Amino acid sequence: MIFWRRSLPVLITFVLGVTFALQYYVPLPASEALLSGVSVWNQIIAAFAAILGVTSLLHVHYTKIRRKEAGWGYSVVLYLSMLATLVVGFWSGGESENSAFGWLYNYILVALSSTMFSILAFFVASAAYRAFRARSLEATILLAAAVFVMFGRVPLGEYLVSGVGQISDWIMSVPNTAARRGIIIGISLGGIATSIKIIFGIERAYLGGGRD
Amino acid sequence: MNDFARRMLSLDRRLIFLLIAVVTLLPLLYPFRLPIRVSPEAQKIYDYIESLPEGSVFLLSLDFDPSSKPELYPMSIALLRHAFRKNLKVVGMTLWITGTSMAESVIAGVAQESGKEKGKDYIFLGYAPGGANVIISMGQDLYAAFPTDYYGVKTAELPMLKEVRTLRDIQYAISLSAGSPGVETWYVYGKEKYGFELGGGCTAVSAPGLYPLIDTGQINGLLGGLRGAAEYETLVGVPGKATAGMDAQSATHFLIIFLIMVCNLLYFLTGQEGRRRG
Amino acid sequence: MEIRGWGLAMSELIPPESIVAIPSSLAGEACPERSRRGQEGELLRPRLCLTLPHLVSLPRGEREPALNRLVKWRKLGLAHICPLLQPALLLFLLLVYCLPAAAFDAPQEVEAFDMPSDGGGSIGLRWRAAPVDSSTTSYRIFVSEQDNGEFKQIAEFPANSHYETAVTIPWWVWGSKHQDIHFFQVKSNATVRLTDGRPYFFKVEVTDGQENAESPSVSTVPQANLFNWAKLNNLLIMLAFSVTVLAAIRHARVNPNIFLRRIPGLDAVEEAVGRATEMGRPILYMTGSDDMSSLATIAATVILGEIAKRVATYGTDLKVPHRDPIVMAICQEVVKESYLAAGRPDAYKEDANFFITSDQFSYTAAVDGIMLRERPAANFFMGAYYAESLLLAEPGAATGAIQIAGTDSDHQLPFFITSCDYTLIGEELYAASAYLSREPVLVGTLRGQDLGKGFFLAVIVLGTLLVTLGVLLGTPVFRTFFQFFGDFK
Repeated sequence: MIFWRRSLPVLITFVLGVTFALQYYVPLPASEALLSGVSVWNQIIAAFAAILGVTSLLHVHYTKIRRKEAGWGYSVVLYLSMLATLVVGFWSGGESENSAFGWLYNYILVALSSTMFSILAFFVASAAYRAFRARSLEATILLAAAVFVMFGRVPLGEYLVSGVGQISDWIMSVPNTAARRGIIIGISLGGIATSIKIIFGIERAYLGGGRD
Repeated sequence: MNDFARRMLSLDRRLIFLLIAVVTLLPLLYPFRLPIRVSPEAQKIYDYIESLPEGSVFLLSLDFDPSSKPELYPMSIALLRHAFRKNLKVVGMTLWITGTSMAESVIAGVAQESGKEKGKDYIFLGYAPGGANVIISMGQDLYAAFPTDYYGVKTAELPMLKEVRTLRDIQYAISLSAGSPGVETWYVYGKEKYGFELGGGCTAVSAPGLYPLIDTGQINGLLGGLRGAAEYETLVGVPGKATAGMDAQSATHFLIIFLIMVCNLLYFLTGQEGRRRG
Repeated sequence: MEIRGWGLAMSELIPPESIVAIPSSLAGEACPERSRRGQEGELLRPRLCLTLPHLVSLPRGEREPALNRLVKWRKLGLAHICPLLQPALLLFLLLVYCLPAAAFDAPQEVEAFDMPSDGGGSIGLRWRAAPVDSSTTSYRIFVSEQDNGEFKQIAEFPANSHYETAVTIPWWVWGSKHQDIHFFQVKSNATVRLTDGRPYFFKVEVTDGQENAESPSVSTVPQANLFNWAKLNNLLIMLAFSVTVLAAIRHARVNPNIFLRRIPGLDAVEEAVGRATEMGRPILYMTGSDDMSSLATIAATVILGEIAKRVATYGTDLKVPHRDPIVMAICQEVVKESYLAAGRPDAYKEDANFFITSDQFSYTAAVDGIMLRERPAANFFMGAYYAESLLLAEPGAATGAIQIAGTDSDHQLPFFITSCDYTLIGEELYAASAYLSREPVLVGTLRGQDLGKGFFLAVIVLGTLLVTLGVLLGTPVFRTFFQFFGDFK
């Protein structure tokens, strides 16, 4: 059992990890074909993962309804909404133009998604009011940069203070880029290190806990 | 004074929400239309599309869902108008499943407005699952990655794709992305391997993170947020929703700056009072 | 004017005032410039020797201006010329005007070769640049599948372009690049399909639109290469870093007391768990928006394991809402093992990990609802996040919970920093798992990463200095160093 649950997945990870790390350096058509073959398999797995997600969702909410846990009414709403969308989708033949399915998409999904994203604008304002304080020198510099960029990114700011647009562009393309690069380098090295640990079986969290 | 400052510092956030709502709404009802300066990053994308010969293949990947529609939809309209005006062959697609319908409607809508014919001047491939794997598949064999287009027509039979077998055969690609898979995915698995030129468009919050890619030439330009969309509408000469939204954005930015100034003033007042007592 | 080859020396017949200075663009072969002193001792402008071969080698359109500038008929003083020489001169001029333009020299040293370090379907052509290369002439490339077959033109470009110096292949693959060598790469495309293993024949032609000269045909066979040597630097750096990390892990196993910088966010973990236990309220832990292939999600899972051990010890309630079912399944195992390790398997709850939805904002709305209803005492945002970051953190801040975030999504960091009490930035998230567990493997990995970062920091500083020096001195000698850190395809 240990072999199937632990050793075999680690062996597969090692073989495939080394193979596809080296694939990057081998320009043969067979190498490219191998990569695209594996990509197709990944696409198939991604599609099945979607099914797994739906199954898990239905199971979790079914359990909530059965046990009448707190908020089980929302689980019923979820079931009904899912059913309605499926029925309408099949009835419309998957067509979104001038169909009931399109109506659901445009007037429910699009509206709700846009609304949720728009809440960010309000939250940014309240977070800024609560947290953007010049408590230290660094915070003050950060604040000044933020004000310049906010001024410079809108026409009214550029109209009132000429040149602030260029200052804003400079802040974005010089100090901001430099800082991002440093973070990207650090994250990339961390990523490579973690990948090495996974390939060599040192890190096995993806198997469900445990480390060498 | 100290009490007032402290009360103001713990102002109910709902009042702030109300202020934001009013300040956003008023300029939409009473616009003041200021000129929009075009940034070098947006200009680079415009100039590159201008330099493409007629008939070049332009791939537009609309990698966003309805939540990012306010920022990226006007961007896609402006880009498509430009591409159709230059008589480029447009290939549309998306890597985000919930954005498929929206992507189809924007491409078909602008194409109809520009008098373009489906299959001959533009196609819409639709959605395929897998993100980066889709890009790799397209790089090897586009017909295998998308056996049919969104409308069910075999891609191998589309006249427009006769000379476009892989991503190496396209002249320019732009990914309008709200996250991952997005611009970085298109660079790492697309341009890096298959060598086509790549541009980017993104939400305002992602834009600062993509600036390093411009400097290194990994992407040749960037449209950032509603501002980027408004800049491109200015370049194309057809103002739209993004240009209209800039007034509201101006007002909102100013309100946030005002709130930050006020909170810092109040913070210093409470701090000074505290120090005087000490 | 001296005209060599004709035995005609007219210089003595030319009055001093006929000596003219002409632009160097009309200068012919090397000819001693002799400055002369006039009769009054004044310095006369140097004469130019213009030879007949050079004159006829000029393009037809340039001969007349050259003659007009050189020969000032009045100043030549034809009356001074020996009558016998007049017909010779007339004959000479007739020949100059009537002779056909000499043909271009065909491109020299044309060579075709298989492009190195590629997947096949590509051939390189090299030939020596000619002195007459200019924007008015152009090169055409022809290809055929047979030596005596029909050649098809596949490219044309100005003769003063496409030099070897523009090749973007590193020195360890290509060698030195010369400014006087033209280079053109023939790649498989819609116009020409190069099949590996089959010979192809090429000709290079130079033309000015009227005349042309063609090289003999050269051939080569395109092949796919086993290894892309242009990426050798990438492989070596990757191997060096991998060895460094593995060596650091081995060293940490032997000597586990490696110094780790204090990360304030992680110190607060104990405080957060303790606070939740005292208040009798749950801990809310999120593993981010990405799936298990994301390194941030893996790091978040490891940290969840450590926090679950503490939660198991204190008997606090733990809630872990998920966006991905596979991540949920893995986290269930992780938490169960943590409870086992803490000696509290009885306290483990199967539904501590639960799946909500994979849709971004639906998940966010659901979690906000949990925060507002159940009012957890501590919120952990670990992993990769997107636009939902502030939508999660701000309601959490409104409920008064202690919030600790850790993400490598640098575009979301500003939102977490403003809304959370502690934030782990970038690879601090990866370091967090080492810091909490103090396991030699994880600590050793951190050390290896830091060594790598130190190396790249040194390279950046040194590279910046060398670039500056190279620009100031105007020397390309430092390119050898830069190319080792370049990205080649």
